[in-house]
Amino acid sequence: MSGHHISSDKTLLGVAGALFILTVLTVGVHYVHIPDPWSIIVAMGIAIFKATLVALFFMNLYWDDRFNLMLFLASIAFFILLVGLTLLDTLFRTDVVPGF
Amino acid sequence: MANHSSSTHSKFLQHHFVDAEQQFDSAKMGMWVFLVTEILFFGGLFAAYIVYRLWYPELFTLASEELNTLWGGVNTVVLIGSSLTVAMAIKSAQLNQKKNIAINLGITLALAAVFMVIKYFEWTHKFHLGIFPGEFYAFEGIDHPKANVFFSLYYLMTGLHGIHVVIGIGLMIWLLLRSMKGHFDSEYYTPVEITGLYWHLVDIIWIFLFPLFYLID
Amino acid sequence: MATAESNLEKFQVQRFEPEADPEKHYLNEETGLWAWLTTVDHKKIGLMYLASITFFFFVGGIMALLVRTELWTPAKTFIEANTYNQLFTLHGAIMVFLFLVPSVPAALGNFFLPIQLGAKDVAFPRLNLLSYYLYLAGAFIAIISIVNGGIDTGWTFYTPYSSTTGGAVTTMVFGVFVIGFSSILTGVNFITTIHKMRAPGLTWDKLSLFSWSLYATSIIQIMATPVLAITLALVGMERLLGIGIFDPALGGDPVLFQHFFWFYSHPAVYIMIVPGFGIVSEVITTFSRKHIFGYWAIALSSLAIAFIGFLVWGHHMFVSGQASLASMVFSFLTFLVGIPTGIKMFNWTATLYKGSIDLKSPLLYIFGFFFLFLVGGFTGIVLGSIGLNVHLHDTYYVVAHFHFVMVGGMVMAFLAGVHYWWPKMTGRMYNETMAKIACGIIFIGFNATFLPQFVMGSLGMPRRYFNYIEQFQPFHQASTIGSYILGFGFVMIFYYLVKSIYTGKKAPVNPWGSRALEWQVNSLPPLHNFNYTPVIINGPYDYHKPMDEFQLGLAETGHGEEAETTDEIEAKAE
Repeated sequence: MSGHHISSDKTLLGVAGALFILTVLTVGVHYVHIPDPWSIIVAMGIAIFKATLVALFFMNLYWDDRFNLMLFLASIAFFILLVGLTLLDTLFRTDVVPGF
Repeated sequence: MANHSSSTHSKFLQHHFVDAEQQFDSAKMGMWVFLVTEILFFGGLFAAYIVYRLWYPELFTLASEELNTLWGGVNTVVLIGSSLTVAMAIKSAQLNQKKNIAINLGITLALAAVFMVIKYFEWTHKFHLGIFPGEFYAFEGIDHPKANVFFSLYYLMTGLHGIHVVIGIGLMIWLLLRSMKGHFDSEYYTPVEITGLYWHLVDIIWIFLFPLFYLID
Repeated sequence: MATAESNLEKFQVQRFEPEADPEKHYLNEETGLWAWLTTVDHKKIGLMYLASITFFFFVGGIMALLVRTELWTPAKTFIEANTYNQLFTLHGAIMVFLFLVPSVPAALGNFFLPIQLGAKDVAFPRLNLLSYYLYLAGAFIAIISIVNGGIDTGWTFYTPYSSTTGGAVTTMVFGVFVIGFSSILTGVNFITTIHKMRAPGLTWDKLSLFSWSLYATSIIQIMATPVLAITLALVGMERLLGIGIFDPALGGDPVLFQHFFWFYSHPAVYIMIVPGFGIVSEVITTFSRKHIFGYWAIALSSLAIAFIGFLVWGHHMFVSGQASLASMVFSFLTFLVGIPTGIKMFNWTATLYKGSIDLKSPLLYIFGFFFLFLVGGFTGIVLGSIGLNVHLHDTYYVVAHFHFVMVGGMVMAFLAGVHYWWPKMTGRMYNETMAKIACGIIFIGFNATFLPQFVMGSLGMPRRYFNYIEQFQPFHQASTIGSYILGFGFVMIFYYLVKSIYTGKKAPVNPWGSRALEWQVNSLPPLHNFNYTPVIINGPYDYHKPMDEFQLGLAETGHGEEAETTDEIEAKAE
């Protein structure tokens, strides 16, 4: 648990390189036009992987106090709560937007 | 908490902290808690996006064609590059390379400016076509009654992100000025560290905005 | 001297007698208006919050009295329907956003949290001051909106009405947005403070339950308030640009607004009440001279309430047109809130059992809290069941339930806290007899106001209506008379508390004989809270241990440059 982890150039450049490659990859996959449910799954999968890289290595969560990692995960958990419980309503309505 | 008596009496140590370590840890944790609030702040808009996307999937694929994937991709690369330079700035501070802090912060600033310029051209191009948010929407090219809602979401989410980039630019200028005065070294670099955290979060949000808007057609 | 054992070693620490009425304290160092306005001292900021929320409490209260007066007769009594709509909107908005949300955390919490942690200040003192000014700025913007056309949407700002009606909704929404930021920053500050600023020896199991409750509150503040902020920003954009996300005329969905709004506003009622729970725990141990029963149960149930509070918002939307599946799930989850709340009630009563009870005014307020909060809580369970809710929705039953929880629960606990900590905050004792009488008046006035509303509500009297049928008149009149009694009680408290500052007898250091840390410092406390860095060996509720083991310090310490490092303290301790 060190708040002062010093990353090596190799790590930083390696992570940035991976992020560049993944960006090119996700744009590439986009032009291939894979069928519908999969295109968004692949795109979001790559995005989540990229975000994880940034959080772990640029934001130092990999080496940092575990509580900071927990905070980050908790915010995502509460976001999922917001979306999940809202979808319980919006996906199961008889009228999509009730008329007025 | 122990083992840091050497770094106790920095000139930037505030009166209510016992030592610089406690001050650094507190600042960092405070920033993380603040980032939590940022994630949920954007979370409201992401939730709206998800709800509308599940209601009108065909609208999103149609409308997304109006967005330029190439420029979106370029902006992604620009932001990732700026995240890298911020991380390098922190590393320079930790290694006491004072000059490199300023250089890296300068590059970050330049990249952030490039991002905003590209954003500006993207938006003005759309305004030119009559794609305005909400009730001012005047574009004929998309055959869907709710196309205005898609673009409202687009403008709100990229706009709110853009505001964060502008705030980040302000913070970077402040850091750059301080680093040129030689305020930061391996003993004290808290502002660089926590601004870096903020900047990376802005990057992460863009990492999600990019596929959600540009890559779904 | 006291001896304490850590895992391996024994070390000796010295007890320093706190001084009553010391020569130098936080009020006479750094005096002058400018020093007050720019102070970063958490105690002064707490007092400024206390003054501000008291002001807004009376403003909101006067509006409530005007509303109640108007309801004296079934038709128009003395104000226009439009004015009436604005009055109840402002009453709600002011009470919720300017009084209830900041009341305990920002006023009492600011003052006592750092002292209870043995810290010199909160983690970010300047941020704390910024929160206060954001609060003032938000309040100011809200006041501008009153002058600038007023608002008549109710405090909930439901779309599409709020996005289409005239008046100053945009300004008001912006004001609340700014206040929201103030609340967020307070939450950020408190969480960091509790984690990073605790004194040596103050482990999590010695944390006061007030601090635990503020911790739970802060979690809600940082998780929920941002969603309110973005939602209100969207309402503002809806009015300015017609973005159409919530407006059905432009293709949006108004029910989505309700989801977002209640994702904040349901947890927000726990922002209001959970700090009150913390006060109850403090007061009840002090005045029954007994260790709290079920420390961990109470501490963790605060966190449980904070979490479950996020799962239940849909129970505000049973008649909004949301899917019936969502209604069923939300109704079920709502009942779960009763569990941690019940755990707290049982533990509190168990603490009283066989205690040496000293019925001073703070405890009297807490007894009021017990009764009223229990009624408020149980009617909440009633409202959480879908079938009954459809009948009772938007009636006075809801109004009465909400006020039993918020006024009967939260305000009673807040008053208990103010009375309990008044000697430490001001260094003066108030008139105990007057305090007890005022408590009785408030209890009677409160019940006279809100019990009839339960009856009216279950008979079908809708809330927020200007006119009503004549059968309801006796209930409305009883309620109005009750509200005057209630108002008189509050004025009386204000009178004797302010009077005590000038003529009250000087308070001893620890008038209640409490073991909590804030009672072991000077009365009034010094500018930086402690003249000696405290080392905490006993918990705040260890009434079975002798008094001379409390407030232990190691060595004299200054601030900043002269401050001792943890290492030095640890070295001495070894």
